[in-house]
Amino acid sequence: MTFPILTTTLLAPILAALIIVFLPKENDKLCKSVAAVGTGIALALSLYVYFGYDQSVGGLQWVDFGQPVPWIKDLGVTWYMAVDGLSLPMLLLTNLIGFTAVFASWNVTHRAKELMILLLVLIAGVMGTFIAQDLFIFLLFYEIVVIPIYIMVVIWGSSKRVTKEYAGMKLTIYLLMGSAFLLAGVIALFVNSVNITGIADMSFEGLAQVAFPEQLQIYLFALLLIGFGSLLSMWPFHSWSPDGYAGAPTAVSMIHAGILKKIGGYGLIRLAIVVLPLGARFWAPYMAVLGVIGVAYAAMGALAQKDLKYVVGYSSVSHMGYVLLGLASLGIIGINGAVAAMFAHGVMAALFFSMIGFIYERTHTRWIPDMGGLAHYTPKLAVGFMMAGMASLGLPGLITFIPEFTIFVETFKVFGLLAVIGIAGIIITALYVLRAAANTLFGPARPEFSHIKDLKGPEMVPLIVLGTVLVVGGILPSLLFDMIDSGVAPLLAHINDVLQIGGR
Amino acid sequence: MSEWVGVALFIMAGLAFGVVGIGVSFLVHPRSKNRYKLETYECGIPVEGSAWGRFKAQYFTFALIFVIFDVEVIYLYPWAVSFVQLGLAGLVKMFIFIFILVLGLWYAWKEGALEWK
Amino acid sequence: MNIDFSLITTEIALAILGLAIFTLGLIIPRSARKGLGNIALLGLIIVLGIAVYSWPNQGETLGGMYIVDHFSSFFKIVGLVAAILVVFGFRRYVAANVGNYLEYYSTIVFATLGMIVMISAGDFITLYLGLELMTISFIVLVAFRSFDVKSLEAGIKYLLLAGMSSAVLLYGLSLVYGATGTILFAEVAQSIIDGSGGLLLIIGLVMLIAGLGFKVSAAPFHMWSPDVYEGAPTSVTAFLATGSKAASFAILIRVFVGSLTGIQEHWVMLVAVLAALSMLIGNLIAIPQTNIKRMLAYSSVAQAGYIMVGIVAASQSGVKGVMFYSFIYVFATMGAFTVVAAVYNKIKSDEIADYAGLAQRAPLAATVLLVCMLSMAGIPLLAGFVGKFYLFMAIVDGYMWLVLLGLIMSMVSVYYYLRVVLVMFRDDPVDPTPLKMETSVTITLLIALGVTVFLGIYPGPLSEIANTAAQSFFTP
Repeated sequence: MTFPILTTTLLAPILAALIIVFLPKENDKLCKSVAAVGTGIALALSLYVYFGYDQSVGGLQWVDFGQPVPWIKDLGVTWYMAVDGLSLPMLLLTNLIGFTAVFASWNVTHRAKELMILLLVLIAGVMGTFIAQDLFIFLLFYEIVVIPIYIMVVIWGSSKRVTKEYAGMKLTIYLLMGSAFLLAGVIALFVNSVNITGIADMSFEGLAQVAFPEQLQIYLFALLLIGFGSLLSMWPFHSWSPDGYAGAPTAVSMIHAGILKKIGGYGLIRLAIVVLPLGARFWAPYMAVLGVIGVAYAAMGALAQKDLKYVVGYSSVSHMGYVLLGLASLGIIGINGAVAAMFAHGVMAALFFSMIGFIYERTHTRWIPDMGGLAHYTPKLAVGFMMAGMASLGLPGLITFIPEFTIFVETFKVFGLLAVIGIAGIIITALYVLRAAANTLFGPARPEFSHIKDLKGPEMVPLIVLGTVLVVGGILPSLLFDMIDSGVAPLLAHINDVLQIGGR
Repeated sequence: MSEWVGVALFIMAGLAFGVVGIGVSFLVHPRSKNRYKLETYECGIPVEGSAWGRFKAQYFTFALIFVIFDVEVIYLYPWAVSFVQLGLAGLVKMFIFIFILVLGLWYAWKEGALEWK
Repeated sequence: MNIDFSLITTEIALAILGLAIFTLGLIIPRSARKGLGNIALLGLIIVLGIAVYSWPNQGETLGGMYIVDHFSSFFKIVGLVAAILVVFGFRRYVAANVGNYLEYYSTIVFATLGMIVMISAGDFITLYLGLELMTISFIVLVAFRSFDVKSLEAGIKYLLLAGMSSAVLLYGLSLVYGATGTILFAEVAQSIIDGSGGLLLIIGLVMLIAGLGFKVSAAPFHMWSPDVYEGAPTSVTAFLATGSKAASFAILIRVFVGSLTGIQEHWVMLVAVLAALSMLIGNLIAIPQTNIKRMLAYSSVAQAGYIMVGIVAASQSGVKGVMFYSFIYVFATMGAFTVVAAVYNKIKSDEIADYAGLAQRAPLAATVLLVCMLSMAGIPLLAGFVGKFYLFMAIVDGYMWLVLLGLIMSMVSVYYYLRVVLVMFRDDPVDPTPLKMETSVTITLLIALGVTVFLGIYPGPLSEIANTAAQSFFTP
């Protein structure tokens, strides 16, 4: 019986949300402070877990209560909260972004109490998916996040090119449709595992041991790929992403682009690839093709946008294309790179969206041609924007460079030409990021913006926290990579075993 | 087959009962044609108004209450015939049955269904 | 013929309760009749206690005409719980919009009695007896607001269509009797195994599906439900959607899975198609509705489709899924309709547009409506998700198309549920004064919320009970 530290981490935001329910509506500073404390505790705990994880031992550690607690007996569901090198970066990322998202919405005064409650529920939901080692519990958290997001978009969102109602509904329906396929796949997976082994076991570990026939794996993998792929904004299921981010309030954009999408990638590794390796081998080339199309298509799309949020929205689709490409390589370096890229992109996208949010609050526009010379009045904001932008185009020294590099190393080996097209995407990325930055921040100072103030007080938190991670992760990549490697290596070893037996 | 002969005889007797009656009256009845013959009730009250005219709704309440007690008798007869075999249990059950029916009457009475207003 | 009274104590107690309410109502002065609601509530809770207490009792009585097993006990408890919630949660609504306490509460009890008799039926006659007691009580209840044209219209519609469906059902029963020569379910099953069958039986079977499909409002026999649900007093709508439906599903399982298993190949596909149609029609037509009761009516058609999936499976896990889902469905539906009734009491409207800003005026009511609707849509952490998981698990081998359709359609249902959420949460209220809910409503809402969330997070106990009950259905 060990102290359930992960469950505590999960409950910290929920507890904060419960406290906020009973706070007066008028005192929104207090509500925000409680939310900040709740997410702060979760962040501190996840940092403690991250650095307390023994990489030399590897595998699942910090198991809550020392062992899985039986939950639903007839389905073989257990309360199995534990982390490995794959979960930990995601857990940390969640809490980093959750914590900063509270500060990014510090200036919201319209129904701030409800916003904080929903935000905390959302953070807890996302966190749950990353620490649950049981498929059923994973699913519980996977879908619950959709509803708070919808409510947040329709209340606090903004209607520019599309109405916020449209954006919210599109976001919700796309993700739910994806989850319908996912759920069908999971139910079939579970029933077949019971038919094969005779015991009901929903833990990822247990499912990975089941020898599913190859035909079944191929068919199930397709269902899971559609499910997770639509969350990962895999082309052609990506169109919710730019519209959704544009309509969403800052905090939702941050969390959605920063972490929620990563659940798709995480699920693909944890469930689809590890449990169904033969299916993964069959579909890998298709995944790679979809990934490359996503990279190229979305980068072109971003090039054509004039709304800052659309630029970042398309850019995140494009970055997820790299992740998909890395996963499709089915090699240790590629998958390591993909996981690291998810982490890096999460930090970068969250920073980007929080800075755009601040710009929008000040100028009331996100339309690039209407802006210019902001750096003259808001140097700190400009720093944050530029850091995110540089990270986006993969500048060496920032956290995004090494993951992208490793993905290309592996995919070039496996897919050759496809990787070359993917790499070409970086050039376009540089183009649209630099153009957006130049037209927004630089150029002659415009008098109509002379009244706007730079970041100060709580607004600095996203910049400091996420900016630090961007730089530290870039200078000391081993902090991230060793951790990921300790998680991915055993999973990959298992996959290779299966593939060898399956005969190549 | 012999048991069906009785049934056949019964049916034929039944048919004959009707046919003979109508036939005899057709043969012997007096024939006179006047307008009273064409009225709905030849020797009753003269018809007034159209057939779609409205009735007081209380007629229906009365009719319903009547039906309840009319149907009750259907159950009482077989019970009375086998009263001895059914014994005390049968008596108790019939009392429950009557009680429920009386409850209905009581309700109708209390709600004023028996008063002609 | 010996009657084992220990097996039918629940029924006897309920009958006594109904008569007692009636008698008492006649004795006490008219002005005191309002208290009958409390008596009905207390009595129903006692009857529920008896039903729970007699859970271990199993057996047959009246020469096989009456079956008591865990399966029937489970559904009886579901029906009684629905009745209790109807009596408790809608007290204010009944006082303000219905009146006639004597007739109302005794009819509710008799409708419950009909359900319970039907659930335990072991032959076609008992089935029909219970069904008619329930249906006739409901006809009265639906038309209860005799000053309201919509309620009367609903009453007439229900009368005509229920009569029609009963006739079809009865004809089906007689055909099955003709083909097998018996009315007892167990003997029908045996007779089919022994080789009776043929066209007559198939036609009878189709008519049974049509007749019972009407009761559960499965498409294409659902036409009555939107009008009736909209016109009937909301409390009756809630009872119709929960108790009546659960009981009809119980008997549907008893007849098809229990007794007509031998000719499965003839009806499984038919039921699967009905389930698919119900999901499609229910969910798609619910989208453009502007009246919340009509929307919930169509959504309940869709729910019938999901539950029918468990019958398609015709296996223990399918029956278990149906039981689990029926139980949670009662709470979700009750919660939703309680909110509708409570809000109607305050703002005198059932239009979705008038729910604007409800989240600010009555946060609990808005939250419960949100949670209940999402549970029906099958969003996780709520009971509906687990229920759907069990249901679809039962048919994933062989009916993958139905699984996919069901899941996609439940996601479609999120669309129209979210439209209500949109109005409640996004919009600012026209009149921002808070709506004060009565204690009884608040408690009912908390019960619905608590059960829906608790079973969503920790469904173990209920699923084990449902499993035991499903087992008793297959191995008596």
